[in-house]
Amino acid sequence: MTLNIRTPRGLEIAKRLAAMSDIVIENFSSRVMQKWGLGYAELRQLRPDMIYVSMAGFGHIGRNHHYTTMGPSAQALSGQTFLSGLPGQPPAGWGWSYLDDTGGMYGVMCALTALRHRNATGQGQHVDLSQMTMGITLTGAAFLDRTVNGRPARREGYPPGNRAVWPGAPLLNNYRGPTVAPHNAYRTQGGGYNDWCVIACFSDHEWQNLVGVMGSPTWATDAKFTTLSERIQHQEELDQGIEHWTQTLEKYALTETCQAAGVRAMAVQSAEDRVEHDPQLRARGFYAELDHPLLGRRKIQGIPFKLSRSPAEIYWPAPLIGQHTRAVLEELLGLSVQDIRDGYADGTLWPTGMPMYPYIEEALA
Amino acid sequence: MSAPHTEDHSALPGPLAGLRVLELADAKGQFCGKLMADLGADVLKIEPPGGQHTRLVGPFLDDIPHRERSLFFWHYNTSKRGLTLNLEHPDGQALFRRLVSTADIVLETFPPGYLATLGLGYDALAPLNPRLIMCSLTPFGQTGPWRDFVSSDLLQLAAGGQMSCCGYDPEDVPDAPPIAPGGGNAWHIGSHFAYMAIMAAVYYRDMTGVGQYIDASIHEACALTTEAAGTTYIYTGKVVQRHTGRAASFDKSEPTQFMTKDGLWVNTTRTGFNLTPARLRRLATMMEQYGLAQDLLDEKYQNRATIQENLAHIAEVLEHFFTSVPQEDAWRAGQEQGLPWGGVRSMDEIIDDPHLHDRDFFTEVEHPELGRRFIYPGGAAIYNASPWRICRRAPLIGEHNVEIFCGELGLQREKLTLLAESGVI
Repeated sequence: MTLNIRTPRGLEIAKRLAAMSDIVIENFSSRVMQKWGLGYAELRQLRPDMIYVSMAGFGHIGRNHHYTTMGPSAQALSGQTFLSGLPGQPPAGWGWSYLDDTGGMYGVMCALTALRHRNATGQGQHVDLSQMTMGITLTGAAFLDRTVNGRPARREGYPPGNRAVWPGAPLLNNYRGPTVAPHNAYRTQGGGYNDWCVIACFSDHEWQNLVGVMGSPTWATDAKFTTLSERIQHQEELDQGIEHWTQTLEKYALTETCQAAGVRAMAVQSAEDRVEHDPQLRARGFYAELDHPLLGRRKIQGIPFKLSRSPAEIYWPAPLIGQHTRAVLEELLGLSVQDIRDGYADGTLWPTGMPMYPYIEEALA
Repeated sequence: MSAPHTEDHSALPGPLAGLRVLELADAKGQFCGKLMADLGADVLKIEPPGGQHTRLVGPFLDDIPHRERSLFFWHYNTSKRGLTLNLEHPDGQALFRRLVSTADIVLETFPPGYLATLGLGYDALAPLNPRLIMCSLTPFGQTGPWRDFVSSDLLQLAAGGQMSCCGYDPEDVPDAPPIAPGGGNAWHIGSHFAYMAIMAAVYYRDMTGVGQYIDASIHEACALTTEAAGTTYIYTGKVVQRHTGRAASFDKSEPTQFMTKDGLWVNTTRTGFNLTPARLRRLATMMEQYGLAQDLLDEKYQNRATIQENLAHIAEVLEHFFTSVPQEDAWRAGQEQGLPWGGVRSMDEIIDDPHLHDRDFFTEVEHPELGRRFIYPGGAAIYNASPWRICRRAPLIGEHNVEIFCGELGLQREKLTLLAESGVI
């Protein structure tokens, strides 16, 4: 629905809706909701057991609460950007707003957690989530290596790209898992933009399996690759040898061949690959189709878990602007059609002077 | 402040107090267990006798490798209690079944079907406890052609699409590979969705009294977590290209990451973003304090159209400003004018951030066996009625065996010795 909270009538509608809701969830900059009279302190007067989740960049508490973030700046400030890239190069960072995705997930997690607390105690609460802060814990053991061991985060050979350790750099863990080789991305047949795969061997046994899959080429059976420390010492040569082989295979064929032999290998998948070629996502029905009112039948990204008794489902696509304004106001607040038409005319429900979309006109007919 | 700490806030129970979780999770799912434990659930981490293999992952305290010194293990297992149990031994299975009848949630990350072969699958456990919620969090889920594939964080980021979005513009790094960001984030992404699914099942149980089984797939969780890359393809048929330090897109977008005087980096917004005449003037006034505003204080910029026409020039002035001031000054300068800029910080800068101190983010955790205290990262959110906090360090191997097996299940101490000697605990 659409609502102009800056009008007295809009504010009143917002408060009436809040009073009948279990959860208020908002991601305005800190202080915006308070300025409107919609802060937690005000709304809990209307509904004492309200769960109120705020999702601001820096949170509502703390001296820089007025700072704002978008995904990329939250990623930069939390250490996420720093840990992505090749040594000696600019940070590669995250190629999308990882912490916008994840911020939304934490919003759900916070709301569900507070709901559980309310079910157990009858008590509501305010949850003050900070997007930037959440990214820090997601750097893994990097935090403790700094605070416990005092290891400087800025150091030679870090971050090591896709490797567990960069050739020639000190043998220090990179917070992704064990320090092993091979552990890298390799070009595959075709040479296209996303014709890449990754391979990782976590033990000498897994390496021997890979050697077998590659057909035991002479270079790979050299004694200098037998043990982990030797493979790390000769990593450049190791990766060249492996890539020489991976370039002869199509990336899905390579994945299947390696996995059949217990070798950790996987195609690098683009969005097109996931939607069109990924047999696992297809078998799991991950891209179902939904009818969109304007765009027709489209694939939609699914839900990554299956609950046996109460399955999650995508019931309908994201709403059109104001698609449900009338339904919400009628059903929940008992407003008359005339009240609603007035709200569209007086700037409460729609910007004055802006033409309305046909579906809104229809809904008001 | 809207949600002040009350004086005894830290003494309150967390929001998940009263829930018991049996965690049979390794690197793939232990972050989900940590979230529940730090939020107040009683998480019993069940390891094989001698400790889980995650204890062998570095870095280690003072670089001395030892199963009790893995910072990787420490990070992901705070606030949990630790048990050892051999699930392949009939006596271990019997003890596990007794624990299941005391539990709300079982979280497991074994290969699909493994627990069922031990007689410990959901179908075998649910009759013992109809309220049980069991979540299997695995690389590819319980069904499908890839369900038995071996995996790793790197493999999941390849399959899920993260790598195809992350990397470099060719003019920055020619022939660069797709990059898998570090930190173990495939496991974090999977754990986030497992947490959501479990909490949804807890809510359902609160309403109906019955538990259920959850089949959660890390691959699907990752595939969902690439923001617009998926929908860009679905709606336009286009595949995104990787860019240095900014969002992948199918077109060539302008750079947003700049080096600062100290050789570090800042991540900014597109130059025109939110750049109103008033904001540009404030920004230029601040830059003038460094003598770096050039002509941006000129009256002609107090006009939206002129700003839009001169974005390339403004970007140059800004870039020069960035190269002339330290990182910290650069990003805070933007923030003070309402622009969401950020320094590309490492832990070296983060641990001194006073804002995070204000939020009590830095949590001192005692390691009594070492006689030392260390600083851990705390909660991402401040709950005003039930704190998100680390209540103790990760458990030592089998640290709570006596407490649980004897204290709670009533085993005699002598029996415990026997179980240890026969490889059950």
